[in-house]
Amino acid sequence: MITVTDLHKEYIDGESHVRALRGITMQIDKGEFLSIAGPSGSGKTTLLNLIGCIDTADSGEIILDGDTVTRKHARELVEIRRGKIGFVFQDFNLIPVLTAYENVSLTLSLMGLKETEIKARTMAILREVGLEGMEHRRPAKLSGGQQQRVAVARALVKQPLIVLADEPTANLDSATGESILQMMRGMNERWGTTFIFSTHDTMVMDYARRLCRLHDGLIESDEKRSA
Amino acid sequence: MKTRRRAGRTPLKVFLILAVKNMARYRRRTLITASAIACGVAVFAAVASVMDGFSSESDRNFIDYETGSARIVAPGYWEEREQFPLDMVVEDSSEVIAQLEQEGWRAAGRTEFRGELVIYYDPFPEDGNIPMAFAGVDPDRDPEVFRLKESIEEGRFPAAGEDELIIGRWLADRIGAEIGYGVTIMTRTKDGYYQIMDLEIVGIFNTPNPHVNRNVGYLPLDTADYYLEMEDAVTGVIIRGDERVPGSLDPAPIASLMEDRPVRVMSFSDMNKEFAEIMEMSEQITSLILMLLAVIAIVGISNTMLMAVLEREREIGMLRAMGVRNREIQWMFFFEASGIGFIGAGIGVMLGSLLMWLLVTYGIDYGEMLGDIDLGYRFGEVLYGIWSFSALIQAAITAVIVSGVVSLIPVRRMLKKQVTDCLRHS
Repeated sequence: MITVTDLHKEYIDGESHVRALRGITMQIDKGEFLSIAGPSGSGKTTLLNLIGCIDTADSGEIILDGDTVTRKHARELVEIRRGKIGFVFQDFNLIPVLTAYENVSLTLSLMGLKETEIKARTMAILREVGLEGMEHRRPAKLSGGQQQRVAVARALVKQPLIVLADEPTANLDSATGESILQMMRGMNERWGTTFIFSTHDTMVMDYARRLCRLHDGLIESDEKRSA
Repeated sequence: MKTRRRAGRTPLKVFLILAVKNMARYRRRTLITASAIACGVAVFAAVASVMDGFSSESDRNFIDYETGSARIVAPGYWEEREQFPLDMVVEDSSEVIAQLEQEGWRAAGRTEFRGELVIYYDPFPEDGNIPMAFAGVDPDRDPEVFRLKESIEEGRFPAAGEDELIIGRWLADRIGAEIGYGVTIMTRTKDGYYQIMDLEIVGIFNTPNPHVNRNVGYLPLDTADYYLEMEDAVTGVIIRGDERVPGSLDPAPIASLMEDRPVRVMSFSDMNKEFAEIMEMSEQITSLILMLLAVIAIVGISNTMLMAVLEREREIGMLRAMGVRNREIQWMFFFEASGIGFIGAGIGVMLGSLLMWLLVTYGIDYGEMLGDIDLGYRFGEVLYGIWSFSALIQAAITAVIVSGVVSLIPVRRMLKKQVTDCLRHS
């Protein structure tokens, strides 16, 4: 479903020239629960950003669901992100003025769905992530774990092809982090949604069914694991 | 969870709701910016009210006391009128007026001339000579054309064939004149000979036109005709129309009526040209002030939106990552800024209406401020505003649109950044 071929990316960070990716090639199949691990600066977030179409590669190719996204125009990438990709961020990035319900339903509103469908799907996903009864709370009235559940619900409610999660447990305590991971893995198993994480947390790596380790912008190891 | 739908057109309602919620999120900032806009709208409305009042009152005072709706003069007279030439006249004025009246026009002749008003100690407090303008007016017809007779405050209008004079309250107070006092006018006849007129003050008027109050004395037209040896000639035949808007009377029918006579027909606009130029200059200054107000409002709203955009950089990044299109983000901020503009405009309209009400009801008293200074303006000591709803609506709409448009500058700059850079913002 996702084919990454000889991907290169460099950027300037302050005064230093960083070679974030130096020729990444990998294949990600539908329904995978993949963790991209590695130390800071290994290129895992950059790889996630490129797969998520929010950054552009210097060279190489990414084919997503049959589309060569590395050749697409910025406007086309927006449509791909809107329809096919869900994001979960390390610090949740919920909109503070919206309630849990509104944060999730916004994604469906963007797709122009009818109000009744939006409501049904939003309530269903909030139930799924264990936030039933909290849908009218704003992010400030939710714990970190609950906020991350809202973020996961927001990413999944549109039924994307892939969910990209950048260090999803980094701002959570280990118990909460684990419950989030269990929840995501459950969704992966039931719905077959592809999950790709970046992490340097061993607990997250343990949950992954495939672990891809990066080091200095190159794949150090790539192994399938049993649950 | 099997169906997947292609991303469609997003209803703008989503971003409108988000904008409203964000306005409430930064309540204090919204109110401060809205207040600045409100002040701009209110001041604009108040200035427009005063300017319109000024212009409207000036036009009315010109027509009612000086120019009429149209005027028939000798060719070249108008250009020389400040010299009060008595050799550039409309001959056979009685015939001209009869001709006009036959066609349904209200018309009256006037002979305007220059002279010196000579007053003597006892009954006046002291001797003196005052150079000023005089006009011979037809006691029967003049009230059909001008409102001078209505402005008599004390005494009466001069009667035909009598050696009588009326003067303005301002002048009467300055020279200590009272009804029944005798004065002398020293002037020259049509042929240039010195002439002396001994007249009695029979009335004191007080018009809303300070120029008339201060500078002009009126005597019967036939008396002026006799002393100045005009032989039925007048310096002008003034016509009054029924037009509602000053200057809208079409002088063409009068001109065609007069085509066989060696005269020129002047419209109000022709006569009012110089004052209109002064008004235009004054309006330009007002526009400059209003532009400064607009700049202040623009700076206020653009600062607010710049801060809003910078503070929400991560949020913008997240929305873009979710697939929100750049133009939709622009709409969101446009709605937000327009909303602030709308609140400001709403408060501004209320505040502006209150200011207008004060100006219409109480006006601004310039009397104290100007004292005896004559700026040549044709309004009284109190300048009243008029209700100018168009100015209010214009200011309110401008505030809303400008606020929205100004917000796009920082947003567009932000949208040029990479999504990843926005997301990295702390």
